[in-house]
Amino acid sequence: MAPLVDYEKAAGLLKKYGISSVRSSYVGSAEEASSFLKGDDPIVLKAISQKALHKSKSGLVKLNLRSEEEIRKAYADLVKRAKPLRPYKILAQSMLSGGLEMIIGGSVDPQFGKMVLLGLGGIYVETFKDFALRLCPISTYDAASMLRQLRSRKIIAPDNRSENMIAGLLLRASRMFTESNLSEMDLNPIILHDGRYDAVDIRLLE
Amino acid sequence: MAKKPSKTRKYVDMRYIMSPKSVAIIGASEKAGKVGNAIMQNYVDVGFQGRIYPININAEGSIMGYKAYRSILDVKRSIDLVVISVPAKAVPGVMEECCKAGVKGIIIVSGGFAEVGEVELQKRVYDIAQKYNIPVLGPNCLGVMDTRSRNDTLFLPTFKIDRPKIGGVSFVSQSGSVGSSTLDLISGEGFGLARFISYGNAVVIDEVDLLNYLAHDKYTKVIVFYIEGVKRGREFIELAKKVTRLKPVVILKGGVTELGASAAHSHTASLAGSAQAYEAVFRQYGFIEAKNLEELLYFAKVFDTQPPSRGNRVAVITNGGGHGVLATDALYLNGLVLPDITAESKERLRKTMPKIVNIKMPLDIGGDAGEERFSAALDILEDDPNIDSIMSITLFQTPGADEKVADAIIRHGTARKKPLVVVSTGSTYTKSHTSIIEGAGVPVYDSPDSAARALAALLWYSNYKNKVVE
Repeated sequence: MAPLVDYEKAAGLLKKYGISSVRSSYVGSAEEASSFLKGDDPIVLKAISQKALHKSKSGLVKLNLRSEEEIRKAYADLVKRAKPLRPYKILAQSMLSGGLEMIIGGSVDPQFGKMVLLGLGGIYVETFKDFALRLCPISTYDAASMLRQLRSRKIIAPDNRSENMIAGLLLRASRMFTESNLSEMDLNPIILHDGRYDAVDIRLLE
Repeated sequence: MAKKPSKTRKYVDMRYIMSPKSVAIIGASEKAGKVGNAIMQNYVDVGFQGRIYPININAEGSIMGYKAYRSILDVKRSIDLVVISVPAKAVPGVMEECCKAGVKGIIIVSGGFAEVGEVELQKRVYDIAQKYNIPVLGPNCLGVMDTRSRNDTLFLPTFKIDRPKIGGVSFVSQSGSVGSSTLDLISGEGFGLARFISYGNAVVIDEVDLLNYLAHDKYTKVIVFYIEGVKRGREFIELAKKVTRLKPVVILKGGVTELGASAAHSHTASLAGSAQAYEAVFRQYGFIEAKNLEELLYFAKVFDTQPPSRGNRVAVITNGGGHGVLATDALYLNGLVLPDITAESKERLRKTMPKIVNIKMPLDIGGDAGEERFSAALDILEDDPNIDSIMSITLFQTPGADEKVADAIIRHGTARKKPLVVVSTGSTYTKSHTSIIEGAGVPVYDSPDSAARALAALLWYSNYKNKVVE
């Protein structure tokens, strides 16, 4: 199986291409996780392992943690669940609530090569299958037409500004995927909130 | 299909395959029912102008009045094209002889190669073609039909399948059966054909060669493709980028496989299957995708005759109210809209139409409308800057619709000011008019829906060429 790129390394790669991701850090204990708390904002804890590609399905994601007590419990439970998946790491992230979720992805078609995908993200990906696909590298025209192709375009890009923002993001993600040795890419979800976006989950396969 | 080296190679020369001056038919036979008999008979029937050499290992004297030979090596005259219809196992040997005789192109009609698991045998065909550097079409194909030189290798008797008239649409089909049945349908349409090519297992000549050939072919205005897959994906795309800017390419992809989907680890890879990749590539590089055989024809004829579309505003003229309602639905379902016509057009229409005609879109000019009303309405709507294209619903069952109406439509529909399509639903009497209208170069559809789909395809391609994001 294609190896999963380490989360922090993946986030670093995104940053290099000007794609921002949500504040996150590996934590080695419940105490470290608690120190990740900032003000009143809740956090998320995730167990990450090569052996578990669907984190939320395997109960490896703990959402909306606000207190040290909640964090301690969640951390202990994650450690228990992740035991068979060793080696694993625990990642703490700021939790973004509300916002609209989209996916930008990449895959390699056996006939044509690297392709980039844009769609309605999060839990809706599989249900509505509302996505647009293009061969890499894409042009600005392609990026705009991908967005226009989506049935959900009014949801994920309600105005011109967000449309331009997403098109720009898509171009950068496509360039990153084209120039890298990645075979699969899921930036899902990317959450649009407060006039900006952040990649919340990053899954890159070499 | 045989594996080929992945390195880019030169395009195959199609000249002698398509328009030869001399043809040898290996496997030609007097025996009715044999493929070699039908091919030979067709060369005689369709009036091929070049020299014909029937070849059969058991030949004595002549076949259908042409001097027959036992081997191509006995002909001793220059031969442009050889059509091979002998059992698969005998093909490599026959090919070697052809190459030694210095022929310039080979079509292998015979089946019995990779499509039935005879991969090794097909590899030998490929190797011989490489060794002698000779263009080979097939195996397992119908070959070609060139309406101008009347080079016609189809083994389908002329009484079973009509031959289309001469025109500007070229049709390429991987499959022989889709190819021949669609050809038969094209014969029933008003538009004409330039070239037909059925390429079967594509051991040498493949999609990339054919796309390149038709892109540069002066007789081909519209390329119509039926494919089940492409062998050289990246080269196909690199070529398509240029070709779709030169000419419209209408494409139908059959055979959806899900290669790779089972190995997917991500959402993206599980969504982006092979069928989705083809669809994406078509959209990205300007292919006009047809979803079925009917759309291949709908699209072919609008691109063959009508000018590019500037926008999504479609004026509807009708001599039947219900069809106006259906047309409105069809437009909006296909991303098109009814326009607000200008005040000036309204004024002009009021002056020319009787009081009973309500001056709004869709413009119902009445069941008793004749040539005068159709002509006036078409004149006015052609001038209107708020209108991008016109759908003229012309129901010939009505008392006023006759050959004069047909004439008026032909006059407007061939002016190429704005795209014009006709909707005429009906049978014998209707068809007597619509075949003339379409033959003159105005596409006719039997429903508002099919006409709307054609206009939407025309607009999509016009936007692609102008880089307009829908």
